[in-house]
Amino acid sequence: MPIILRILLYLAILFYFVWMYKLFKKQKLNLQYSLMWIFSGIILLVLVTFIKDFEKVLHFLGIAEGMNGLFAIAIFLILLMLMIITSIVSQMNNRHKTLIQKCALLEKRVRELENQMKGEQNNANDNSVPD
Amino acid sequence: MEKKTLVIIPAYNEENNIKIVIDSLSEMYPEIDYIVINDCSNDRTKEVLQQMHANYIDLPLNLGIGGGVQTGYIYAYENQYDVAVQIDGDGQHDITYLKDVIAPILNDTADCVIGSRYINNEGFQSSFMRRVGINFLSRLIKICTGISVKDVTSGFRAVNRTWIQNFALDYAQDYPEPEAIITEACRGARILEVPVKMNARLSGESSISGMKTVYYMIKVSLAIILQRISLRKEIR
Repeated sequence: MPIILRILLYLAILFYFVWMYKLFKKQKLNLQYSLMWIFSGIILLVLVTFIKDFEKVLHFLGIAEGMNGLFAIAIFLILLMLMIITSIVSQMNNRHKTLIQKCALLEKRVRELENQMKGEQNNANDNSVPD
Repeated sequence: MEKKTLVIIPAYNEENNIKIVIDSLSEMYPEIDYIVINDCSNDRTKEVLQQMHANYIDLPLNLGIGGGVQTGYIYAYENQYDVAVQIDGDGQHDITYLKDVIAPILNDTADCVIGSRYINNEGFQSSFMRRVGINFLSRLIKICTGISVKDVTSGFRAVNRTWIQNFALDYAQDYPEPEAIITEACRGARILEVPVKMNARLSGESSISGMKTVYYMIKVSLAIILQRISLRKEIR
């Protein structure tokens, strides 16, 4: 692999980790979700570093170029992450739904209590007025 | 002991129909409670409900028919109802048949009752293409569970206390009617179809039309098969 390409890849991975660190520091990334990103970052780092040995395995599998192997693995990781994210969204959707339902049921109770209190107040007022 | 019955009426943009539905309900069945679920309508449905001092729940965000109806089941569960009946808020369901739908639950001859247009083939029968779609889903459910239900998309149904609890905990979203049948069948519920009459919509638009129909068919078919796979172990 040309040296310039290699440096570029390292820079990209560095950028990836720095950006992740920033998000994490700003608490925009939960630890449980950042683990999968750290994990895939490490995989990419290992692949770029040991691309020579990696290429031998790829040749054995019928992939001619090291870069193509990188692409294949990167795309696989992306698909995997999208699936994980869809699963997270689905879970959030469910929680969200439950929250909306609870909220609506509570709103109904508040409304009823308010009406009840109004009724009691009116009654009290009516009673306090002498004939 | 007298069994408490609740009618669940999901409503989304039904400002013209909801009053008629509630009025005829309280006229014909003054002893039966009802709850309207206003699914964050963007017309005047909420104002209409407020004006007539209806018993309603106002969802702060739109959940779709599944989440709306489930809210009704949660309400029924929390308030100790023994029977819950679902009817549409658009006036399609002829509520003269309400007692027929509840009767098997009260006699304990069924756990879940579905009001069906296609037993006596009376009243509004829906368009030809829809009937083809409904027939297909009906066959798919028959293959998957061995249970024969003709009107699988009917939203006119009643369940007993056990199923109020089950649906309060877990109810299909999006287009839940056919999926609910699969859940019921796979958990060994006694399902019964009784003849009812439906009317064409009083006004407003159906929630499923045009391209949505194609999406609906694919989604529901897939959901039926997936549910059948995930609930396999519970079959009696």
